[in-house]
This record gives sequence, structure tokens and C-alpha cells, in this order.
Amino acid sequence: MAELDEHVVAPARLRLMTMLTAVSAAEFATARETLGVSDSVLSKHLGALEEIGYLKRRKDVDHGRRTTWISLTPRGRRALSAHVAALRALIDGID
Amino acid sequence: MPPSLLASIGVAIAAQIAMTAIGLGLAATWLVVAGQLVFALAAGVQLARFRRRNGVWLGGFASRVVLGTATAASLTYAVALAAAIWAAYGDRWWLVALSSALGGAAYALSGRRWLDRYRRDPATHARGESVAWLALLLAAAIGGLAMLAVST
Repeated sequence: MAELDEHVVAPARLRLMTMLTAVSAAEFATARETLGVSDSVLSKHLGALEEIGYLKRRKDVDHGRRTTWISLTPRGRRALSAHVAALRALIDGID
Repeated sequence: MPPSLLASIGVAIAAQIAMTAIGLGLAATWLVVAGQLVFALAAGVQLARFRRRNGVWLGGFASRVVLGTATAASLTYAVALAAAIWAAYGDRWWLVALSSALGGAAYALSGRRWLDRYRRDPATHARGESVAWLALLLAAAIGGLAMLAVST
């Protein structure tokens, strides 16, 4: 049976990665508002997921405003798929 | 989704088809170039609006809806453009207008269809073609138009 991915178990990280599968990239502020977390909490999760190669950040400037764009890497997509498959296998055992 | 986004893309495509066909029919290369610029401007503005409004970038939206790489959009565009060019060479200007309008409408409808699919299954449809593939298609389109313009 596939194992749960310890890096994606935290609800905020799972929600973040799930949100990123639906887009090519999301702005930092959009991710923060969608998840309902603070800048520092999101930054902490982003840093951890970026360190293991699950997502990447890109700096940009929009009308003079500095923005950060976040996107999943192919490795991150594979990891999320494997994690979701493991979750589904676990849930199958529940009546 | 910015209001009138699909409509403006459809109108820009209709204008681009008409200007290309008329430009080739009258041997006015500047009109062909202007047609491409009209579409490039409309596409750029709408993509920027979409990105700013939603705070996300959707590769699938950019390529399938705006650049028309969806099968229905690319096929109907090719047929409409060919019909409009054929009509322009024969001075059938009403047919140029009709082909352009139908091409633009089909392009916009194809975009609506992609959006419906995306809403049902975002993860499958979020990503579009690679930048390299889009650049290759763009180069082929420009090359084809240049050859047509030179041969007239």
C-alpha cells in the first residue's frame, strides 16, 4: 500500500498543493486568501515545500508592485497524486 | 472571468481574419500585419486582465481559449480563414464578412466549451501547451502568412 507523504499531511499544505493543481501558478496573496492564513504561516509552508522540490516561487513586478508567483513542480504533482492515492486507499477501509 | 472576455477575443479573431483576407486580396501587406497586431493587442490585454482579476495564471486558458489551440478553435479558425481568403481573391466581400464573423463566433464558443470543461475538472485542464510549442506554432503561422503575402 502507498504511504502517506509526511510533507503533505498538514491540512494547510494539502489545501495549498491541491489549489495549485488547478492553476499553472498562483499569486502569493491569492493563495493566502484562499487558505485563510497569515503571510508568515504561508511563507513557512512555502519554504518547506520549496526545499523538498514540491513547488517553486518566482518574483514578479505588476504595475510597480512586487509579487510572488507560486507553482507546483512535476515532482510536487507526483507527490500529491501519490498522497491522494494513499488517502483514498485508507478511506476505502471505512464503512 | 472578466466580463466580455470571450466576446472581445471573438471580435478580435473576426477582425484578424477579415483584415488578413482583405489584405491578401488587395495585396495590402500592412493590413495583414495590422490584423495580427489587433489580435495580439486584444489577447495581451485580456490575459493581463484575467491574471490581475484572479491572481492566478492558467496556461490552459492562455493557449486553448486565447491562442486557440483547442481542436475546435483551430479547425474552425483554419476553415474560416481559408474561406475568407478565397472569397477575398474573388471579390466576394460579403462572404469575407460572413466567414470572419462565423470564425470569431466559433472561436469564442470553443473558449466557452473549454471553460466549462475546466470548471468540471480543473486539475486536468489547467495546464496548456509548452512555450516552445506555442513559439513554434506562432513562427509557422507568421511564416505561412508571409509566404501568402509574398506570393500575391
